[in-house]
Amino acid sequence: MTLCISQLAFERNNEPLFHPIDCTVSTSEILQVRGANGCGKSTLLRIFAGYISPEMGTIFWQGKNIFQQRDEYIQQLCYIGHQNGIKLHLTVSENLKLICALANQKIPHSSFKKILHTMQLENIEHTQAIHLSAGQKRRLALARLLLMNTRLWILDEPMTSLDQAGQTLIADLLNQHIAQGGMAVVATHHDLKMTGKMLYLPDANYSVMPACF
Amino acid sequence: MFNIIFYEIRTTLRQAHSWLTPLLFFVMVITLFPLAIGPNESLLEKIAPGILWVAALLAILLSIGNLFRHDADEGYLDVMLLSPYPLTWLVLCKVMSHWLTHCLPLILISPILGFLLHLPAHEQYALFVSLLLGTPVLTLLGAIGAALVVGIRGHGLLLPILIMPLYIPVLIVGTATTQQSMAGCFAILGALLLFSLAFAPFLTGIALRIGVNQ
Repeated sequence: MTLCISQLAFERNNEPLFHPIDCTVSTSEILQVRGANGCGKSTLLRIFAGYISPEMGTIFWQGKNIFQQRDEYIQQLCYIGHQNGIKLHLTVSENLKLICALANQKIPHSSFKKILHTMQLENIEHTQAIHLSAGQKRRLALARLLLMNTRLWILDEPMTSLDQAGQTLIADLLNQHIAQGGMAVVATHHDLKMTGKMLYLPDANYSVMPACF
Repeated sequence: MFNIIFYEIRTTLRQAHSWLTPLLFFVMVITLFPLAIGPNESLLEKIAPGILWVAALLAILLSIGNLFRHDADEGYLDVMLLSPYPLTWLVLCKVMSHWLTHCLPLILISPILGFLLHLPAHEQYALFVSLLLGTPVLTLLGAIGAALVVGIRGHGLLLPILIMPLYIPVLIVGTATTQQSMAGCFAILGALLLFSLAFAPFLTGIALRIGVNQ
Protein backbone atom coordinates (compact mmCIF):
# COMPACT_ATOMS: atom_id res chain seq x y z
CA MET A 1 0.00 0.00 0.00
CA THR A 2 1.54 3.29 -0.99
CA LEU A 3 0.37 6.84 -1.13
CA CYS A 4 2.53 8.74 -3.57
CA ILE A 5 2.38 12.51 -3.91
CA SER A 6 3.90 14.04 -6.98
CA GLN A 7 4.48 17.79 -7.52
CA LEU A 8 1.42 18.71 -5.51
CA ALA A 9 0.62 22.41 -5.40
CA PHE A 10 -2.35 24.50 -4.35
CA GLU A 11 -3.24 28.17 -4.44
CA ARG A 12 -5.06 30.41 -2.03
CA ASN A 13 -6.08 33.89 -3.17
CA ASN A 14 -4.10 33.36 -6.37
CA GLU A 15 -0.88 32.79 -4.47
CA PRO A 16 0.84 29.44 -4.10
CA LEU A 17 0.14 27.98 -0.68
CA PHE A 18 3.24 25.82 -0.58
CA HIS A 19 6.03 24.71 -2.82
CA PRO A 20 5.34 21.63 -4.96
CA ILE A 21 5.43 18.58 -2.72
CA ASP A 22 6.91 15.21 -3.56
CA CYS A 23 6.37 12.52 -0.98
CA THR A 24 5.65 8.86 -0.44
CA VAL A 25 3.99 7.07 2.44
CA SER A 26 4.17 3.28 2.52
CA THR A 27 2.77 0.53 4.70
CA SER A 28 3.67 0.91 8.38
CA GLU A 29 4.79 4.48 7.87
CA ILE A 30 3.63 7.71 9.38
CA LEU A 31 4.00 11.11 7.76
CA GLN A 32 3.94 14.07 10.13
CA VAL A 33 3.06 17.39 8.57
CA ARG A 34 4.52 20.34 10.44
CA GLY A 35 4.37 24.03 9.91
CA ALA A 36 3.29 27.34 11.33
CA ASN A 37 -0.36 28.31 11.58
CA GLY A 38 -1.86 29.24 8.27
CA CYS A 39 0.72 27.45 6.16
CA GLY A 40 -1.80 25.11 4.60
CA LYS A 41 -1.56 21.89 6.67
CA SER A 42 -5.32 21.47 6.86
CA THR A 43 -5.72 22.23 3.17
CA LEU A 44 -3.05 19.70 2.32
CA LEU A 45 -4.77 17.03 4.38
CA ARG A 46 -8.09 17.81 2.76
CA ILE A 47 -6.44 17.39 -0.63
CA PHE A 48 -5.15 13.99 0.52
CA ALA A 49 -8.67 13.06 1.60
CA GLY A 50 -10.02 13.98 -1.81
CA TYR A 51 -12.19 16.93 -0.77
CA ILE A 52 -10.23 19.44 -2.85
CA SER A 53 -8.56 19.01 -6.22
CA PRO A 54 -4.99 20.27 -6.32
CA GLU A 55 -4.01 23.03 -8.75
CA MET A 56 -1.07 21.00 -9.92
CA GLY A 57 0.32 17.55 -9.35
CA THR A 58 -1.17 14.16 -8.61
CA ILE A 59 -1.77 11.87 -5.69
CA PHE A 60 -1.40 8.17 -6.41
CA TRP A 61 -2.89 5.43 -4.30
CA GLN A 62 -1.56 2.04 -5.32
CA GLY A 63 -0.21 3.60 -8.48
CA LYS A 64 -3.53 5.07 -9.60
CA ASN A 65 -4.72 8.68 -9.40
CA ILE A 66 -7.07 9.02 -6.44
CA PHE A 67 -9.51 11.12 -8.42
CA GLN A 68 -9.88 8.29 -10.92
CA GLN A 69 -10.68 5.74 -8.24
CA ARG A 70 -12.47 7.90 -5.74
CA ASP A 71 -14.84 5.27 -4.40
CA GLU A 72 -12.13 2.66 -3.80
CA TYR A 73 -9.81 5.25 -2.28
CA ILE A 74 -12.24 6.72 0.23
CA GLN A 75 -13.15 3.22 1.45
CA GLN A 76 -9.53 2.83 2.50
CA LEU A 77 -9.19 6.06 4.40
CA CYS A 78 -10.51 7.69 7.54
CA TYR A 79 -10.24 11.45 7.79
CA ILE A 80 -10.61 13.27 11.08
CA GLY A 81 -10.37 17.02 10.62
CA HIS A 82 -10.39 19.97 12.98
CA GLN A 83 -14.11 19.62 13.47
CA ASN A 84 -15.41 16.56 15.21
CA GLY A 85 -17.95 15.34 12.68
CA ILE A 86 -20.56 14.48 15.28
CA LYS A 87 -24.22 15.26 15.72
CA LEU A 88 -24.58 17.27 18.90
CA HIS A 89 -28.12 16.16 19.71
CA LEU A 90 -27.40 12.45 19.55
CA THR A 91 -25.86 10.48 22.40
CA VAL A 92 -22.36 9.03 22.20
CA SER A 93 -23.54 5.55 21.26
CA GLU A 94 -26.13 6.93 18.80
CA ASN A 95 -23.38 8.94 17.12
CA LEU A 96 -21.22 5.85 16.76
CA LYS A 97 -24.14 3.78 15.44
CA LEU A 98 -24.86 6.51 12.90
CA ILE A 99 -21.23 6.41 11.75
CA CYS A 100 -21.59 2.63 11.30
CA ALA A 101 -24.77 3.13 9.31
CA LEU A 102 -23.11 5.78 7.14
CA ALA A 103 -20.11 3.54 6.52
CA ASN A 104 -22.44 0.61 5.80
CA GLN A 105 -20.71 -1.44 8.45
CA LYS A 106 -22.22 -3.75 11.01
CA ILE A 107 -20.24 -3.88 14.22
CA PRO A 108 -20.98 -6.71 16.67
CA HIS A 109 -22.15 -5.52 20.07
CA SER A 110 -19.02 -6.84 21.82
CA SER A 111 -16.69 -4.91 19.49
CA PHE A 112 -18.81 -1.82 19.98
CA LYS A 113 -18.46 -2.06 23.74
CA LYS A 114 -14.72 -2.68 23.38
CA ILE A 115 -14.32 0.49 21.30
CA LEU A 116 -16.29 2.52 23.86
CA HIS A 117 -14.01 1.13 26.58
CA THR A 118 -10.81 1.86 24.62
CA MET A 119 -11.83 5.45 23.97
CA GLN A 120 -12.92 5.87 27.61
CA LEU A 121 -16.47 6.74 26.57
CA GLU A 122 -18.25 4.05 28.59
CA ASN A 123 -19.46 6.32 31.37
CA ILE A 124 -20.96 8.85 28.98
CA GLU A 125 -22.43 6.37 26.51
CA HIS A 126 -25.95 7.74 26.88
CA THR A 127 -25.09 11.41 27.20
CA GLN A 128 -25.96 13.73 24.34
CA ALA A 129 -22.87 15.08 22.66
CA ILE A 130 -23.93 18.65 23.36
CA HIS A 131 -23.32 18.03 27.07
CA LEU A 132 -19.81 16.65 26.60
CA SER A 133 -16.58 18.52 27.23
CA ALA A 134 -14.33 19.40 24.31
CA GLY A 135 -11.96 16.53 25.12
CA GLN A 136 -14.80 14.03 25.32
CA LYS A 137 -16.16 15.20 21.97
CA ARG A 138 -12.67 14.79 20.48
CA ARG A 139 -12.45 11.24 21.78
CA LEU A 140 -15.87 10.54 20.30
CA ALA A 141 -14.63 11.88 16.98
CA LEU A 142 -11.48 9.77 17.12
CA ALA A 143 -13.51 6.65 17.94
CA ARG A 144 -14.37 6.74 14.26
CA LEU A 145 -10.86 5.44 13.55
CA LEU A 146 -11.55 2.25 15.48
CA LEU A 147 -15.04 1.85 14.05
CA MET A 148 -14.04 2.14 10.42
CA ASN A 149 -10.73 0.33 10.76
CA THR A 150 -9.24 1.60 7.48
CA ARG A 151 -5.67 1.33 6.22
CA LEU A 152 -4.97 5.04 5.88
CA TRP A 153 -5.58 7.50 8.66
CA ILE A 154 -5.54 11.21 7.87
CA LEU A 155 -5.62 13.21 11.08
CA ASP A 156 -5.64 16.98 11.41
CA GLU A 157 -4.50 18.05 14.87
CA PRO A 158 -5.90 14.95 16.62
CA MET A 159 -4.57 16.01 20.04
CA THR A 160 -6.61 19.21 20.21
CA SER A 161 -8.55 19.54 23.47
CA LEU A 162 -7.27 16.20 24.79
CA ASP A 163 -5.80 15.90 28.25
CA GLN A 164 -2.56 14.00 28.95
CA ALA A 165 -4.34 10.66 29.22
CA GLY A 166 -6.18 11.30 25.98
CA GLN A 167 -2.99 12.25 24.16
CA THR A 168 -1.28 9.09 25.39
CA LEU A 169 -4.28 7.08 24.22
CA ILE A 170 -4.14 8.51 20.71
CA ALA A 171 -0.37 8.06 20.52
CA ASP A 172 -0.82 4.42 21.55
CA LEU A 173 -3.55 3.91 18.95
CA LEU A 174 -1.30 5.40 16.27
CA ASN A 175 1.61 3.18 17.27
CA GLN A 176 -0.65 0.14 17.21
CA HIS A 177 -2.08 1.07 13.83
CA ILE A 178 1.38 1.54 12.28
CA ALA A 179 2.65 -1.68 13.84
CA GLN A 180 -0.29 -3.58 12.33
CA GLY A 181 0.58 -2.38 8.84
CA GLY A 182 -1.48 0.76 8.64
CA MET A 183 -0.47 4.17 7.35
CA ALA A 184 -1.06 7.61 8.77
CA VAL A 185 -0.70 11.23 7.73
CA VAL A 186 -0.89 13.46 10.77
CA ALA A 187 -0.76 17.24 11.01
CA THR A 188 0.16 18.15 14.53
CA HIS A 189 1.96 20.69 16.67
CA HIS A 190 2.70 18.01 19.25
CA ASP A 191 5.80 15.90 18.96
CA LEU A 192 4.47 12.43 18.38
CA LYS A 193 7.80 10.84 19.34
CA MET A 194 7.41 8.36 16.53
CA THR A 195 9.90 7.52 13.83
CA GLY A 196 8.58 8.40 10.46
CA LYS A 197 8.66 10.98 7.76
CA MET A 198 8.31 14.71 8.38
CA LEU A 199 6.97 17.21 5.95
CA TYR A 200 7.60 20.84 6.79
CA LEU A 201 5.28 23.26 5.17
CA PRO A 202 6.40 26.83 4.52
CA ASP A 203 4.43 29.58 6.11
CA ALA A 204 2.17 31.81 4.12
CA ASN A 205 5.16 33.71 2.72
CA TYR A 206 6.82 30.43 1.76
CA SER A 207 10.29 31.73 2.39
CA VAL A 208 11.48 28.40 3.71
CA MET A 209 12.06 25.54 1.29
CA PRO A 210 9.94 22.52 2.11
CA ALA A 211 11.98 19.63 3.45
CA CYS A 212 10.67 16.13 2.91
CA PHE A 213 11.73 13.23 5.12
CA MET B 1 -30.36 3.61 5.06
CA PHE B 2 -33.42 3.68 7.26
CA ASN B 3 -31.06 3.94 10.19
CA ILE B 4 -29.70 7.17 8.79
CA ILE B 5 -33.19 8.64 8.38
CA PHE B 6 -34.11 7.42 11.86
CA TYR B 7 -31.15 9.14 13.49
CA GLU B 8 -31.73 12.34 11.50
CA ILE B 9 -35.34 12.43 12.69
CA ARG B 10 -34.22 11.77 16.25
CA THR B 11 -31.74 14.67 16.04
CA THR B 12 -34.48 17.01 14.79
CA LEU B 13 -37.05 15.92 17.34
CA ARG B 14 -34.60 16.68 20.15
CA GLN B 15 -34.41 20.27 18.95
CA ALA B 16 -38.05 21.10 19.46
CA HIS B 17 -37.67 24.72 18.40
CA SER B 18 -36.53 23.70 14.92
CA TRP B 19 -39.70 21.88 13.88
CA LEU B 20 -42.18 23.74 16.10
CA THR B 21 -41.29 27.14 14.68
CA PRO B 22 -42.63 26.53 11.15
CA LEU B 23 -45.75 24.89 12.55
CA LEU B 24 -46.49 27.77 14.93
CA PHE B 25 -45.77 30.27 12.19
CA PHE B 26 -48.20 28.51 9.87
CA VAL B 27 -50.93 28.41 12.50
CA MET B 28 -50.37 32.02 13.52
CA VAL B 29 -50.52 33.41 10.00
CA ILE B 30 -53.71 31.55 9.16
CA THR B 31 -55.42 32.45 12.45
CA LEU B 32 -54.60 36.12 12.02
CA PHE B 33 -56.27 36.44 8.61
CA PRO B 34 -59.92 36.03 9.67
CA LEU B 35 -59.19 38.39 12.57
CA ALA B 36 -57.72 41.00 10.29
CA ILE B 37 -60.09 40.73 7.34
CA GLY B 38 -63.25 40.17 9.36
CA PRO B 39 -65.80 37.35 9.18
CA ASN B 40 -66.43 37.92 5.48
CA GLU B 41 -67.12 34.30 4.58
CA SER B 42 -67.24 34.63 0.84
CA LEU B 43 -64.00 36.64 0.72
CA LEU B 44 -62.16 34.23 3.03
CA GLU B 45 -63.38 31.30 1.00
CA LYS B 46 -61.99 32.85 -2.17
CA ILE B 47 -58.54 33.70 -0.84
CA ALA B 48 -58.14 30.68 1.47
CA PRO B 49 -56.20 28.44 -0.96
CA GLY B 50 -53.75 31.24 -1.69
CA ILE B 51 -53.23 32.17 1.97
CA LEU B 52 -52.77 28.57 3.04
CA TRP B 53 -50.23 27.87 0.35
CA VAL B 54 -48.29 31.10 0.94
CA ALA B 55 -48.20 30.44 4.68
CA ALA B 56 -46.99 26.88 4.11
CA LEU B 57 -44.34 28.08 1.67
CA LEU B 58 -43.06 30.75 4.06
CA ALA B 59 -43.06 28.27 6.95
CA ILE B 60 -40.90 25.90 4.92
CA LEU B 61 -38.66 28.76 3.84
CA LEU B 62 -38.06 29.58 7.52
CA SER B 63 -36.57 26.22 8.33
CA ILE B 64 -35.00 24.96 5.11
CA GLY B 65 -32.02 27.32 5.32
CA ASN B 66 -30.69 25.40 8.29
CA LEU B 67 -30.92 22.01 6.67
CA PHE B 68 -27.16 21.56 6.44
CA ARG B 69 -25.99 24.28 8.81
CA HIS B 70 -25.49 22.20 11.95
CA ASP B 71 -23.86 19.43 9.95
CA ALA B 72 -21.48 21.88 8.34
CA ASP B 73 -20.64 23.55 11.66
CA GLU B 74 -19.74 20.27 13.32
CA GLY B 75 -17.94 18.74 10.36
CA TYR B 76 -20.56 16.04 9.88
CA LEU B 77 -20.76 16.99 6.19
CA ASP B 78 -17.15 15.83 5.82
CA VAL B 79 -18.15 12.44 7.19
CA MET B 80 -21.12 12.27 4.78
CA LEU B 81 -18.86 12.99 1.83
CA LEU B 82 -16.61 10.05 2.72
CA SER B 83 -19.47 7.60 2.98
CA PRO B 84 -19.68 4.71 0.49
CA TYR B 85 -23.30 5.71 -0.11
CA PRO B 86 -23.77 8.14 -3.01
CA LEU B 87 -24.17 11.71 -1.79
CA THR B 88 -27.47 11.90 -3.72
CA TRP B 89 -28.94 9.16 -1.52
CA LEU B 90 -27.71 10.82 1.67
CA VAL B 91 -29.23 14.14 0.58
CA LEU B 92 -32.50 12.31 -0.08
CA CYS B 93 -32.36 10.84 3.43
CA LYS B 94 -31.87 14.30 4.89
CA VAL B 95 -34.67 15.79 2.81
CA MET B 96 -37.01 12.96 3.74
CA SER B 97 -36.33 13.34 7.45
CA HIS B 98 -36.74 17.11 7.16
CA TRP B 99 -40.07 16.66 5.37
CA LEU B 100 -41.33 14.19 7.94
CA THR B 101 -40.52 16.46 10.88
CA HIS B 102 -41.18 19.91 9.44
CA CYS B 103 -43.79 19.54 6.69
CA LEU B 104 -45.95 16.61 7.79
CA PRO B 105 -47.26 18.53 10.85
CA LEU B 106 -48.26 21.37 8.52
CA ILE B 107 -50.14 18.99 6.25
CA LEU B 108 -51.90 17.29 9.14
CA ILE B 109 -53.07 20.54 10.66
CA SER B 110 -54.16 22.08 7.35
CA PRO B 111 -57.74 20.69 7.43
CA ILE B 112 -58.37 22.49 10.73
CA LEU B 113 -56.95 25.72 9.39
CA GLY B 114 -58.91 25.31 6.17
CA PHE B 115 -62.04 25.02 8.26
CA LEU B 116 -61.09 28.29 9.98
CA LEU B 117 -60.98 29.99 6.60
CA HIS B 118 -64.30 28.52 5.52
CA LEU B 119 -62.70 26.39 2.83
CA PRO B 120 -65.35 24.24 1.10
CA ALA B 121 -65.13 20.49 1.66
CA HIS B 122 -63.94 19.49 -1.82
CA GLU B 123 -61.22 22.15 -1.68
CA GLN B 124 -60.15 20.84 1.75
CA TYR B 125 -59.42 17.49 0.17
CA ALA B 126 -57.62 19.14 -2.73
CA LEU B 127 -55.58 21.28 -0.32
CA PHE B 128 -54.50 18.24 1.66
CA VAL B 129 -53.35 16.34 -1.40
CA SER B 130 -51.75 19.37 -3.01
CA LEU B 131 -49.74 20.02 0.15
CA LEU B 132 -48.85 16.33 0.32
CA LEU B 133 -47.44 16.52 -3.21
CA GLY B 134 -46.18 20.09 -3.10
CA THR B 135 -44.31 20.31 0.21
CA PRO B 136 -41.79 17.61 -0.81
CA VAL B 137 -41.09 19.67 -3.94
CA LEU B 138 -40.52 22.77 -1.81
CA THR B 139 -38.23 20.82 0.52
CA LEU B 140 -36.25 19.32 -2.36
CA LEU B 141 -35.80 22.65 -4.12
CA GLY B 142 -35.04 24.36 -0.83
CA ALA B 143 -32.30 21.81 -0.18
CA ILE B 144 -30.47 23.05 -3.28
CA GLY B 145 -30.56 26.57 -1.88
CA ALA B 146 -29.52 25.36 1.57
CA ALA B 147 -26.52 23.58 0.06
CA LEU B 148 -25.55 26.67 -1.94
CA VAL B 149 -25.43 28.85 1.19
CA VAL B 150 -23.93 26.23 3.48
CA GLY B 151 -20.50 27.80 3.62
CA ILE B 152 -21.68 31.39 3.90
CA ARG B 153 -21.97 32.98 7.31
CA GLY B 154 -25.01 35.15 7.83
CA HIS B 155 -26.70 34.18 4.61
CA GLY B 156 -29.87 35.89 5.83
CA LEU B 157 -32.02 36.79 2.88
CA LEU B 158 -29.78 35.20 0.29
CA LEU B 159 -31.51 31.84 0.47
CA PRO B 160 -35.06 33.15 -0.12
CA ILE B 161 -33.83 35.25 -3.04
CA LEU B 162 -32.10 32.21 -4.53
CA ILE B 163 -34.97 29.78 -4.38
CA MET B 164 -38.02 32.05 -4.78
CA PRO B 165 -37.88 31.71 -8.59
CA LEU B 166 -38.14 27.96 -8.10
CA TYR B 167 -40.88 28.22 -5.49
CA ILE B 168 -43.23 30.48 -7.42
CA PRO B 169 -44.27 27.91 -10.05
CA VAL B 170 -44.95 25.39 -7.28
CA LEU B 171 -47.04 28.00 -5.45
CA ILE B 172 -49.06 28.80 -8.56
CA VAL B 173 -49.73 25.15 -9.38
CA GLY B 174 -50.48 24.30 -5.75
CA THR B 175 -53.01 27.08 -5.36
CA ALA B 176 -54.63 26.25 -8.69
CA THR B 177 -54.87 22.60 -7.67
CA THR B 178 -56.64 23.54 -4.46
CA GLN B 179 -59.06 25.88 -6.19
CA GLN B 180 -59.93 23.75 -9.17
CA SER B 181 -59.07 20.23 -7.98
CA MET B 182 -58.93 18.91 -11.54
CA ALA B 183 -57.01 15.77 -12.30
CA GLY B 184 -54.72 17.74 -14.61
CA CYS B 185 -53.56 20.02 -11.81
CA PHE B 186 -52.72 17.09 -9.56
CA ALA B 187 -50.82 15.53 -12.44
CA ILE B 188 -48.72 18.67 -12.87
CA LEU B 189 -47.91 18.66 -9.16
CA GLY B 190 -46.99 15.01 -9.40
CA ALA B 191 -44.78 15.78 -12.37
CA LEU B 192 -43.05 18.58 -10.44
CA LEU B 193 -42.45 16.14 -7.61
CA LEU B 194 -40.93 13.51 -9.89
CA PHE B 195 -38.83 16.12 -11.66
CA SER B 196 -37.46 17.53 -8.42
CA LEU B 197 -36.86 14.02 -7.04
CA ALA B 198 -34.78 13.27 -10.11
CA PHE B 199 -32.67 16.43 -10.20
CA ALA B 200 -32.70 18.24 -6.86
CA PRO B 201 -30.70 15.75 -4.75
CA PHE B 202 -28.05 15.50 -7.45
CA LEU B 203 -27.71 19.30 -7.70
CA THR B 204 -27.70 19.58 -3.90
CA GLY B 205 -24.84 17.09 -3.77
CA ILE B 206 -22.77 19.14 -6.20
CA ALA B 207 -23.42 22.30 -4.19
CA LEU B 208 -22.43 20.50 -0.98
CA ARG B 209 -19.13 19.30 -2.42
CA ILE B 210 -18.26 22.90 -3.25
CA GLY B 211 -19.65 24.36 -0.06
CA VAL B 212 -17.87 22.00 2.31
CA ASN B 213 -14.52 23.52 1.43
CA GLN B 214 -15.47 27.07 2.41
